[in-house]
Amino acid sequence: MANVRLSVSQFIDLTNQTLEYAFGSLEVEGEVSSFKVNQGKYVFFDLKDASGSIGCFMTVWQLRVPIEDGMKVIVEASPKLTNWGKFSLTVRTVRPSGEGALKKSFELLKAKLEAEGLFAVERKRPLPAIPNHVAVISSTDAAGYADFIKILNDRWGGVSVEVAHVQVQGAAAPDQIIRALQHFNTLETLPEVIVIVRGGGSADDLAVFNDEQLVRAIAGSRVPTLVGVGHEVDVTLADLAADVRAATPSNAAQLLVPDRHDIGRQVRATTTRLIPRMLQIIDEAKRRVGQTIVRMFETIEDKVEVVERSVEMQRHLLAQFNPETVLARGYALMRGETTLGATIEVELSRVILKAEVKDVREK
Amino acid sequence: MSEKNKTIEEKMGLLNEKVSWFESDEFSLEEAMSRFKEAETLAEEIEKDLEELKNDVVVIKQRFDGEA
Repeated sequence: MANVRLSVSQFIDLTNQTLEYAFGSLEVEGEVSSFKVNQGKYVFFDLKDASGSIGCFMTVWQLRVPIEDGMKVIVEASPKLTNWGKFSLTVRTVRPSGEGALKKSFELLKAKLEAEGLFAVERKRPLPAIPNHVAVISSTDAAGYADFIKILNDRWGGVSVEVAHVQVQGAAAPDQIIRALQHFNTLETLPEVIVIVRGGGSADDLAVFNDEQLVRAIAGSRVPTLVGVGHEVDVTLADLAADVRAATPSNAAQLLVPDRHDIGRQVRATTTRLIPRMLQIIDEAKRRVGQTIVRMFETIEDKVEVVERSVEMQRHLLAQFNPETVLARGYALMRGETTLGATIEVELSRVILKAEVKDVREK
Repeated sequence: MSEKNKTIEEKMGLLNEKVSWFESDEFSLEEAMSRFKEAETLAEEIEKDLEELKNDVVVIKQRFDGEA
């Protein structure tokens, strides 16, 4: 094979073409060291393991989760020879690898966003008591979505629900969810609430919801947000940035709408509560009527007594005028002419006498 | 969609008004029975409306994978 003579630039280009052909895109796992950000735009770090080390380059916009020296990460990158002959990995995405690194990255971002006030309680807006227009961002294939819709339909109705179907795991998921958020935030008629749901998954799956830009998009939404991701124990930064956090997708439906069965029971109770109230009112009325009747009878009795007493007095008085009474006291009643020789009748209490007038004298 | 919801909310407001009459000074025994029946009918109507209420779920056509 004849020697191929190339210019330096040609050689670099050819090398890069060969590398691209050989690797395309690949993932490399290693530990971060010498991490630095230049001019607030460019990110440099080395990826190393026990025996090797390779330089990495990316922009800050591509860095969606915080990383720091000593953290184990997986980068999705293309190998590249620079024009200065330096060999490095051009990184498109970086994600923490393993539980420890995920947790560390989570804590770093959480502290950063917390310091910015993204999770502050005073930023939280209340959801409408009963929404009429709701936007949902989820994967329509996911179990969590099905749970959410089932509970929603079971509890309440009459809601217009617009669903944006997006990926809820994988590297593309955060951007898709962000686009869906932007879509709903720019509608002519804004929904009253945007619900983001996804069922349980591994810490790696749920890492989507710890994506810095997604968390910022949720915090920056004009429309109030309700986030229900994972199982009850899972806390993501998306949860913390949301106006209302639900433990699970089912719980999100519970927080979003009232339960028609509860409302039905309340409505029933509202009217049945009136029954004892009415009975009480009727009893009161009865008692008042009873009292009036008693008072009436008492008044009548009083009046009769007064009349009876007065009649008794009259009767007593009358008795005094009875001639029999006078005779009994020893007086006599005389009938006939008071002339000499006339026969007169004298009535005493017990006997009646006939007598002759023997003498008439002036007193 | 939201029409029916409004009606339910309106009906619930109306029911509360009807119920508060029983506690008010306007209460009269003569009217109580007919007013109670009215409230009861309205409550049954609300329960029925609640049962029949359906959500309108639409998956929008817009794609968010960045290729659209």
